[in-house]
Amino acid sequence: MIHSFAALDLHISLAAETIFHVGPIAVTNSMILGAFGAVVMLAILFYVAGKVKKGSYNRFVGLVQWMFEGFLKSTEDIIGDKKLARKIFPLAMTIFFTVLITYWVSILPGVGSITVGGAPLFRGLPADLNFTFALAIITIVASQLYAVQRHGFFGNIGRYAKNPFTNPIGAFEGLLEFIGEFSRLVALSLRLFGNAFAGEVLLLVIAVLTSYFSSVVLPFFMAFELFIGFIQAYVFFVLTLIFTSLAVATHGGDHASDDSAHNTTSIDHSSADTPTRAAQLE
Amino acid sequence: MEYVLTQFASTESTSDGGIFGALGIDITMLVLQAIAFLILVVLLGKFVYPVLIKAVDDRQEKIEESVKAAQAAEEKAESAQENIAALLKEARKEAKEIVTTAKDEATAMVEASDKKAKQRSEKIVADAHEQIEKDVIAARKALHNDTIELVALATEKVIGKTMSSNVDDKVIAAAVKEAN
Repeated sequence: MIHSFAALDLHISLAAETIFHVGPIAVTNSMILGAFGAVVMLAILFYVAGKVKKGSYNRFVGLVQWMFEGFLKSTEDIIGDKKLARKIFPLAMTIFFTVLITYWVSILPGVGSITVGGAPLFRGLPADLNFTFALAIITIVASQLYAVQRHGFFGNIGRYAKNPFTNPIGAFEGLLEFIGEFSRLVALSLRLFGNAFAGEVLLLVIAVLTSYFSSVVLPFFMAFELFIGFIQAYVFFVLTLIFTSLAVATHGGDHASDDSAHNTTSIDHSSADTPTRAAQLE
Repeated sequence: MEYVLTQFASTESTSDGGIFGALGIDITMLVLQAIAFLILVVLLGKFVYPVLIKAVDDRQEKIEESVKAAQAAEEKAESAQENIAALLKEARKEAKEIVTTAKDEATAMVEASDKKAKQRSEKIVADAHEQIEKDVIAARKALHNDTIELVALATEKVIGKTMSSNVDDKVIAAAVKEAN
């Protein structure tokens, strides 16, 4: 078994591999499958939007619309402020759809097994740390932008930088909060990357180990990966909302401006359990 | 197996970008993918999500309207039920009054007809008594006259001559007196 396993020349690489160049830009295997995933996603969503606009529903359109409605409601529940929820929703929803579709297309047969010059032609986009890191940066930057919008520039800085002489515990808490922002960034990107990469490796290893029986065994693992893909997309979606909710929330109203007092109150109330939820999801 | 186990090591050793290079993080790729993703967000945010959000809002509005209409209908039904209950109560009361009145009237009518019937029967009986009385008197008178004629005839035959009516009457009266 070990002999045949080694003989199959299992190709596992942490980084996405360059397949060809377009001018100075290197096109990697993850970008190829990512582009395919993006096209599939756009096709599905534009089809659904067109059908919804015409009012001609079918089961698939109904399913997507039902899911969309559920996510919109979740966003409003988590953020608390409906206006802000509607602002952050396109980003969070696109993260969900992108992660879901690109994760799912990476489970298609041929991914990892079709090679060009020794490197796989296709690789799941979530299994490329560039993509997950980019998503995490966008999420954290967006939450910071909304925090600046809510608290003001100095008000937002005041969340992290507190006078250690008058409020030493608060200053320490602020420092931890600042470090927390980076840990969130790393955790968000590595969680998705780790799951997607491990999923691809798992499918590859199972295919090699089960050899001729792989066509019987692999579908179970593929179904499991579909489930994991959904979970990862949902976790990324919810964490994006929770981080935004935490960023715009105020603790005791120290930095809340008068005009945002009403909204702040509602956010304080609704996001009372967000740190717990974030901890549970993480 | 050895090949698999040495994959990570070889990746790290061949990369010259430190930990980021070993993990495959390339700033150009990262920026490109971030831009591509942001384009997706803008595209979907402009052309897809507004349509779907509008559909959700419309549906929500319809549901709220339906709930309001249902509540209004429920209130209306409750009010109608209360009205019906009040009307039923009123109707029962009126019906009871009508029945009572009808019973009273019927009793009065029965009593009146009883009285009338009694009066009529009494009158019939009185009339009958009167008629009988009259008949008895007429019969007595007829009998009296017949008796007188009979006595006159008998006397005529006995004494053999016809007496004057004056004598007859006196004789007859005496005979009747004797007979009595």
